[in-house]
Amino acid sequence: MTLWFVRGIRRGIVTTRYPARPEESARFLPTPPAFRPRELNRETADRLAQACPSGALTRDEDALVFDVGRCTACGRCAAQASHAVISSAAWELAATDRSTLIKRIPLRAAAP
Amino acid sequence: MTPLDLFYIAAGAWACAALAGLLTARAAAGLPACCALSAVGGAAAAAGGGWSLLYGDTTVVSPGPATVVGGPLQLQATSLAGVFAALLGVVAVAIACYAPRYHTPSPGTGCYLAAYNLALIACLAVLAAGGMVTFLVAWETMSLACYLLILRHPRDLQVARGAFWFLALSEAGFLLVVAAFVILSAKTGSTALPAIAAHAGAVPGGWRAAAFLLALAGFGFKAGLVPLHAWLPEAHPVAPADGSAFLSGVVVKMGVYGIALFAFRLAPPLGAWPGLVMMFAGAVTAAIGILYAMAEGDIKRFLAYSTIENAGIIVTAFGAAMIFHASGQQALWALLLIAGIYHVANHGCYKSLLFLEAGVTEHATGTRNMDRLGGLVHRLPRSAVIAFVGTLGIAALPPLNGFVSEWLIFQGLFQGFRTGSHLTGILIVLAAGTLGLTGGLAIYAFVRGFGIPYLGMPRTRQAAEATERRQPVIGPAILAVCCVALALGAPVVLYALSRTARTVTGVTLGPLLLPGDLTVIPAHTDFAALSPTYLAVFLVCALAVPLLIYAAGRPRARSTRVPVWDGGIVAFKPRMQYSAMTFSAPTRVTFDALYQPSVSVTRPSDDDPAGRSGPVHYEAQVTPVFQRYLYQPLVRSLERLSDLVRPIQSGDVNLYLLYVFAVILLAYLLGAV
Amino acid sequence: MSTSADDLRAAIERQFGRSLHIRTLDTGSCAVCEQEIRLLAAPHYDLHRLGFFFTPAPRHADLLLVTGPMIRAFEVAARKTYDAMPGPKVVVAVGACALGGVYPADPFTHGTVEAVLPVDVWIPGCPPSPLALLHGLGVAVGRLAEKARDLPFTAEDQPERTRGDS
Repeated sequence: MTLWFVRGIRRGIVTTRYPARPEESARFLPTPPAFRPRELNRETADRLAQACPSGALTRDEDALVFDVGRCTACGRCAAQASHAVISSAAWELAATDRSTLIKRIPLRAAAP
Repeated sequence: MTPLDLFYIAAGAWACAALAGLLTARAAAGLPACCALSAVGGAAAAAGGGWSLLYGDTTVVSPGPATVVGGPLQLQATSLAGVFAALLGVVAVAIACYAPRYHTPSPGTGCYLAAYNLALIACLAVLAAGGMVTFLVAWETMSLACYLLILRHPRDLQVARGAFWFLALSEAGFLLVVAAFVILSAKTGSTALPAIAAHAGAVPGGWRAAAFLLALAGFGFKAGLVPLHAWLPEAHPVAPADGSAFLSGVVVKMGVYGIALFAFRLAPPLGAWPGLVMMFAGAVTAAIGILYAMAEGDIKRFLAYSTIENAGIIVTAFGAAMIFHASGQQALWALLLIAGIYHVANHGCYKSLLFLEAGVTEHATGTRNMDRLGGLVHRLPRSAVIAFVGTLGIAALPPLNGFVSEWLIFQGLFQGFRTGSHLTGILIVLAAGTLGLTGGLAIYAFVRGFGIPYLGMPRTRQAAEATERRQPVIGPAILAVCCVALALGAPVVLYALSRTARTVTGVTLGPLLLPGDLTVIPAHTDFAALSPTYLAVFLVCALAVPLLIYAAGRPRARSTRVPVWDGGIVAFKPRMQYSAMTFSAPTRVTFDALYQPSVSVTRPSDDDPAGRSGPVHYEAQVTPVFQRYLYQPLVRSLERLSDLVRPIQSGDVNLYLLYVFAVILLAYLLGAV
Repeated sequence: MSTSADDLRAAIERQFGRSLHIRTLDTGSCAVCEQEIRLLAAPHYDLHRLGFFFTPAPRHADLLLVTGPMIRAFEVAARKTYDAMPGPKVVVAVGACALGGVYPADPFTHGTVEAVLPVDVWIPGCPPSPLALLHGLGVAVGRLAEKARDLPFTAEDQPERTRGDS
């Protein structure tokens, strides 16, 4: 009891203030990817779709369909095409409508 | 007209019933005719018993020139015997309604019914006996008739064994009872019971106490006091259900009647210590009885041990009554006598009911083992409701009759501080504590005894397919109605019993027991009070209140009905339920010093060198302590003694002539001296 | 949910905004989502300061927090748990497995919780951090706004990388 009290006074309140204030440590969370549409052609999109083990990435005609809900932030798409994929740093992802989690990213018009 | 005339009518009807049973055994109409006559006799006996409660003791009559072995036939209707006779009559009526549907017409049934009606006559004769010889002859006839009763299926080894236990212990008890009676009648110089009672004061205290203790032991064999109880769990399961009901409901009460006879009429005044001995014996009996009941899976053995428990409660009440008498508390003396007799009537009703229902269950499902039953409340609804009334009564739950009589007994025991001696007070409180333990265990035991067979899911196909068609209902229903009537009409019953107490003890307990307004108080106005009638009304109303609230205040919002939350289980299986043994496991573990269980576990992997597993066999046995450590050594020593004596009967005629010559010589010499 | 979404949203805000009882349900997950959920009660994230409590009894629960890909063997238990909850009730699917990722539908799993239970809020993540769970619970009771709807998951304003890596 004493130890708890002393430790508490030394360290101060450790409970996060979220959601009242933004959380500092959230910078280090693993997050789903964001894509550069200018770097995406059909070939890249197909490679990304094949690389995703969770089925989050599929190619549909002129768009890369990214299902945020299925993403596990494993990083294989970034490893496959590091010029086209960066971290989105978005972790507040809850949605009441499932369709809002499915993003269509338009591909670059034609292969260079 | 006296109650004795009604007893004559009852005996006559039963004699006709016995003849009818023997003669018309095979005819289909024979069974109902015999039972109808038996019911008439029962009604007459009940009426006579109830009337003699209020009438008081009649004079001793010697009807006609009939003489029985060794002395005249002497009959007297006493008010002490009134309750027992009324109980006998009611149980006889109930069994008479039950028997036609339970038995099938056959010569065996005819003999059984003849023996049963003979037993009824003998019980009535015991209760109406006005003289020692009549009592003893009737007692022995009752034992023999009950032996024939139990022996309905003589070819079955188990049945023969159970009947033999009954007979052996009955005879042992009879010896002691004869000794007790002989002591008293020799010392008072008469064989008529009222004369013995009148002159009892002149007998030296030591002889009186000896007679009383002999009677306690002798009648204790019949009443089921521990360790003299061994016949009860052996004989009850093997007798037919109505025979078991008769044994538990009536014959055990005959033993209690004998104890009451000696304690209240023939032997007083006694000191406090015989009462202490009796109270101690009763308390130990009650505790051990219910503890053994917890370990039984056979319904009838379970009920037999419960009978032992209740006999212990009654004997405890009588013992405490004697202690209060010895210390001058006359009101409490009378109160505990009344409470004990009331408990006799109550227990006779609900135990007979439970045994009859056990018979219905056995016929419907083919088994007496609780672990093979389950869910019978759906298959046998009427029997389940009736059995539930009996269970509530025997568990002493309000508002039924068991509660009222046990409350009176407890209130009487709690007033042990009114005796002058601290030691006596402490011992009485200890007895009350033991009865408290017994009461709690009784509730536990009967939750198990009703819940495992009747509630839940059926554990076997036989239980799932039980049917109530052609099962007797009216007989047990009569007893259920009696249970409720005894409870709601407690003030009336207690009034009648207080008249009995006045006849037996000379104490007028009226205003100290029933101060009016349907209330009952335990002999002192400053102690406690109970109104069984108002309690019953209150409980019914209390049950109605939630229903009314629900009906009136039910939310009008749309509601959905979903199944009870069961943890998300896919489907319940019968094997997931408690079994009878696991339900009583906490008691068996706590009291394992008494049970001395022997557990054997065999696994297939024990013998298999490769250690392959398979079904595990688990067997747990309760050690039959009394049989192993008391009866078997006695029997063995008796056999050894007989072996020692056998050479006398060598078969040699010359030796026999020598015996004759030696005895004549001895008689000549003794005569000359 | 039976009434329109707005009515229900209003009802939930009225009823659940300040105090909510949560029943967790694991329909066959790897239990890492369970670890994150359990961390919510720890001092650092402290669910109780927001008025949310865990309860094991569905009868007392307002919100069902479901993890795992809804294996078929669990379907009966999941439906029974959902039915045992009195309305109004909210179902929140947590983790990539529950949202349809990782495991496709096959003879042993449904692949997504939505196949058996009507889901109101989806929380992506593998596992979603306790902060994401707090956000999701806040969205479920109407205290926090959804953000994923407006996120494009594209990165237009980032400097271009050199050509050469394909």
